[in-house]
Amino acid sequence: MFLVTVRLPPEATLAQAIERLGLSEDDVDTGYGLVLIDPTQDLYGLRVTEAAARRIDPAMGEGPYSDPPIEPFGPPR
Amino acid sequence: MRVLIQLRPSSDLVAAVTDPAVSVTAADVAGGLPGIALDSSFAPVAVPRPVPAAGGDPLSMSGPLTFSLAAEDASVLVRGEISDDELSTRVSLLPGTRPDVVGVFADPVIEPYLTCGGDPPVGDWHDVERLLAVAELAAGGLDGSEVALAVLDTGINLDHVSRHLDREVALDAERSWVPGGVDGTPGRFDVDHGTMCAFDALIAAPKATLLDLPVLLSRRQGGSALDGLLSDAVAAFAHLREVLGAQPEESRALVVSNSWGSFSPRWDFPVGHPGNYSDNPAHPFNVIVASLEQAGADILFAAGNCGRDCRDGRCAFPDRPIVGANSHSAVLSIGGVDVENERVGYSSQGPGRLAKRKPDVCSYTHFSGSKAFGDDQPDSGTSAACPVAAGLVAAVRTQWPASRLSPAQLRTLLRRTADDRSTAGFDYDYGYGITDAKGILAALRRRKDA
Repeated sequence: MFLVTVRLPPEATLAQAIERLGLSEDDVDTGYGLVLIDPTQDLYGLRVTEAAARRIDPAMGEGPYSDPPIEPFGPPR
Repeated sequence: MRVLIQLRPSSDLVAAVTDPAVSVTAADVAGGLPGIALDSSFAPVAVPRPVPAAGGDPLSMSGPLTFSLAAEDASVLVRGEISDDELSTRVSLLPGTRPDVVGVFADPVIEPYLTCGGDPPVGDWHDVERLLAVAELAAGGLDGSEVALAVLDTGINLDHVSRHLDREVALDAERSWVPGGVDGTPGRFDVDHGTMCAFDALIAAPKATLLDLPVLLSRRQGGSALDGLLSDAVAAFAHLREVLGAQPEESRALVVSNSWGSFSPRWDFPVGHPGNYSDNPAHPFNVIVASLEQAGADILFAAGNCGRDCRDGRCAFPDRPIVGANSHSAVLSIGGVDVENERVGYSSQGPGRLAKRKPDVCSYTHFSGSKAFGDDQPDSGTSAACPVAAGLVAAVRTQWPASRLSPAQLRTLLRRTADDRSTAGFDYDYGYGITDAKGILAALRRRKDA
């Protein structure tokens, strides 16, 4: 899955994001939900499938952005 | 970077250098080299000229050679230092400006041994306590009281931390955050990397309140058992912005310690792709890092364990291993030194990918501390150095909330007071130097009196 971002009014919901991006619930990680990235830009993020990310109209949302694994740095191996 | 500069001065000067009865200084040979701090303690050394046998190739070093120290043949070496920032520019422009410069060469530190992964502990956490002047910090009222110290990692085992510190420690479960799909309660996770980080963070800030955010335990689709996904960290940072927003504006104090990162470009879009993370300040995680810092949080990231001398086997970036948020301009990127103030060989070197001047500073690692990995195992990696530095920041925040000292001002304070390990200021091994608690205390006193 990938991260995508979308601009929505304050207190936006995942349902609003799905509608704005023209997606269905099956396209998104509903367990992850909608995360406020930057309140000064009304910018939100969500996780979507690769296929859904490629369908998104660039005028409606931005991405796909990578969602790489992250690991603890220590102890050095 | 330390360099050796080879020059071909006048034959009279070369003759003086080769004459043990004559004293010649580096300035006599190389005075006025722009942007190079000459090492006056290093006596100029004559270098003989390789002379090929009659009819031999004058540009080959593999044929038969003799070596001439005659004044008209020999050259002279002096030692100096060039700022890492300007290294390539100055090295390429210097011979054009000064025709007597023959070449500029690296002068690497030669040491019998650098601490590496797998080595036994160097000192213990009481040494770290002493080096961080914890008693003096506490006497000045800087003990972390009322400061929230968030550890984003594999979860904290509070009993273990408390037992090994031999004191009560505070953790706020209400303000902690557990990713969806992760079973467990803040403060009650298995003893692992996150417990080590929590222990180390409390060395300098014994009264700070821990927040437990086990982002590396997430098993979301695409992750694995002992790692998480960057999206989990995005969600954790969004939670921390709410935590910060709930604090009164005049007393905001939230320190965020991150001893993790991305080891490989394999799961990332290529550099230059708009969805890339490692080199792209517009990636959502890099945006939320900037947003949380702007709201008043101090964010620290470990520089990583991909140092040239003994890199972690997982390191897969071919160069510049301080990537993504670990190299963000709005965070402190922390390298590692042992308690003998020597850089550990695995501590990642700059330049960083988002901001060049990384690491910012170094802090202590590879000491016997939490025993999270066994009684004889050190708290190691820049994983330990980062929370040690985070604890120092949390101690400062006890009396200096973000309203009095912004996160940017605090970063400047740590850089400015750091114990510089080179003679040219910033370098890519130590950054601005090793955090200096006494220097910070003195600077804060001056600021208070002003």
